[in-house]
Amino acid sequence: MPVKTTSANPDRGEPSGKSRYKSDASVPRVLLVGSPNVGKSMLFNKLTGRYVTVSNYPGTTIELSRGLSQISDRKYEIIDTPGMYSLSAITDEEKVASDLLLNERADAVVHVVDAKNIERMLVLTLQLIEAGLPVILVLNMADEAEQLGIEIDVAELERILGVYVVKTTATTGEGIKTLIDRIPQVRAGRFEQIDYGSAIENSISVIAKQLGEQGHVSRRTRALLLLQGSCDYAGCAAGDGGSPGADLITNAIRDCSSQIEHSVHYHITFAIQEKVKQIVRQAVSFPGAHVRDFRERLSRLCMHPVGGLPILFAVMYFGVYKFVGGIGAGTVVDFLEGTIFETHINPLVVRVFSTIIPWQTAQDLFIGEYGVVTFGIRYAIALVLPIVGTFFMAFSILEDSGYLPRLAMLIDGVFKKIGLSGRAVVPIVLGFGCDTMATMVTRTLETRREKIIASVLLALAIPCSAQLGVILGLVAGHPFALVAWAGFVGSVFVLAGTLMARLLPGAKPSFYMELPPLRLPRPGNVVVKTYSRMVWYFKEILPLFILASVLIWIGQITGVFQLLVAALVPVVNAIGLPDKAADAFLFGFFRRDYGAVGLYDLQNDGLMTPNQLAVAAITLTLFLPCIAQFLIFKKECGFKIAVTTSLCICLIALATGFLANSLFNLLGIAL
Amino acid sequence: MICSFCFRTFDEELARKQCSHCNPLIECGRVKCPYCGYESPKEPKSLKWLNKIRMKKK
Repeated sequence: MPVKTTSANPDRGEPSGKSRYKSDASVPRVLLVGSPNVGKSMLFNKLTGRYVTVSNYPGTTIELSRGLSQISDRKYEIIDTPGMYSLSAITDEEKVASDLLLNERADAVVHVVDAKNIERMLVLTLQLIEAGLPVILVLNMADEAEQLGIEIDVAELERILGVYVVKTTATTGEGIKTLIDRIPQVRAGRFEQIDYGSAIENSISVIAKQLGEQGHVSRRTRALLLLQGSCDYAGCAAGDGGSPGADLITNAIRDCSSQIEHSVHYHITFAIQEKVKQIVRQAVSFPGAHVRDFRERLSRLCMHPVGGLPILFAVMYFGVYKFVGGIGAGTVVDFLEGTIFETHINPLVVRVFSTIIPWQTAQDLFIGEYGVVTFGIRYAIALVLPIVGTFFMAFSILEDSGYLPRLAMLIDGVFKKIGLSGRAVVPIVLGFGCDTMATMVTRTLETRREKIIASVLLALAIPCSAQLGVILGLVAGHPFALVAWAGFVGSVFVLAGTLMARLLPGAKPSFYMELPPLRLPRPGNVVVKTYSRMVWYFKEILPLFILASVLIWIGQITGVFQLLVAALVPVVNAIGLPDKAADAFLFGFFRRDYGAVGLYDLQNDGLMTPNQLAVAAITLTLFLPCIAQFLIFKKECGFKIAVTTSLCICLIALATGFLANSLFNLLGIAL
Repeated sequence: MICSFCFRTFDEELARKQCSHCNPLIECGRVKCPYCGYESPKEPKSLKWLNKIRMKKK
């Protein structure tokens, strides 16, 4: 295990000291645990002072700081553990912290929380108390909480939890003396047991009976971890995985899962969250109760199956349609495309290249109809960038406000009907940014069934940011065309999902997440997020636009391009579109946004009626995913599924376009 | 780094090591939250540079 000593200024929250010591079994051990950024390290330095070692936890690159503290004439070993949110570890840091708690001796567990965000942090406190560990709850950053007017009744919290509760401000050292006094007196909490429901409770009893004594952690907690799959048999049971006890445990876990509607993790998390809310109501009072009440009501409204829909429509209308479609695709594109490129850049570039390159074919590579400058760079900068930029800004505002998790909860019910859960909101929402990456994120979904459904829906009915932006820009002047587009694409999304949910076998998913606070977006955060996304997108898109221009140029010289376009012409004619739309469909397979941009030029040239515009937008949105997405789809779901799905998507897209065109013609609808 | 979806804090470097990249040869420019799987773009170098200057001035 590599060990290094550190030296720095303890007042700045950095470990200090040149001495080293070896861990001694006779020295009582104190573990500092808690979420990241709650001031654990600062507290650690206040407690330990000079005697500190920093070493990697065995088998990992996670660093642990260990130090000594003199408390009541006795030496104590203090360990600063990596940040953790829950005993059910997800990250490597959490696994190390959880491993320390489960498997190592701890004479005191100091749970450090940010007093300002006590509601989000008490979940771990309850888990630690339930584990039977000798816990002291430290409400750090107490000064900041007081400044915000948050009043925490320490005596009431101590009464409810049955553990010592200490308010500290690690930066000034306030409360540290009280904490030091409490460490030798620490005791296990006497908290009223949380009821997880009969099925889980019965399984806990069965599993707990099979578990031997191990460390200081209660059998109940180890049984809970086994039930949630957060701990393997060897880690939680201290026994041989092949023993009869292991079979009984496996059966109990299976029986429990079959008796409850959602996952065990869902039920346990929900029960703890409810308990935390109850405790906070009893022991914490927040300032401006009316503001908090309003936020709480708004938060609930955002997730309400009926009340949440008007909010969702308002967000879509003002945030996406008006802002992205109106300002991004309208005002900014008009300025960049019409004023900057058409008036200044293009004429200049054409003059320069015509002078320095005498051959027409070579000129076409740069300044032809699909030239690198007049097509590739112009499209990337003047068309896609402003649309994507405004979309990213709207998206960043939603992200920073905390609306997205509430959207996940809102559509959880609808998603369940199409075989998905609210968890699938993450890849679906990301799909509006880039479908390729979103397809990869489907890995986070619980079941293979859910993964396949989400991947197919992404490929079929979720337009990426650039495509969505350009399509919104196209139909912004024709609201009925927009309604028709949204109606057809939405219907295909729901129908395809429902059909797959019925046809594909597998367990139904469940979803529950801890909600972050709903807040006003911070302008600084919005600017940083928007800028970061624009830089990433621009880096990715510009080379591809240039590459596509070169490929088209080669295709035009060799005649392959004309051949492919000619093959597509009868198809686009069949759905009522002009010959030129075949170009856009061909480009769409390179990149989805490329195809959408092709339509933009057709509209500008007055080659399409609003009806044709709607049909083209519907078909192109549902059309084949781009090459990159196809490759990732193949990687995630296999070659057979990827090829079959792509063929089906092609047919569905054209059939829907045909249906839309026929309906408009039959019913005499003029959008 | 704070996840834009679940607002949990995680170590950017460790998260990148934990992420099973789609293409190990190419840096995708995004960081995946280990808790919820949400992807956020990596902070551009220009922003890091600006932050450094701001910190120096302080």
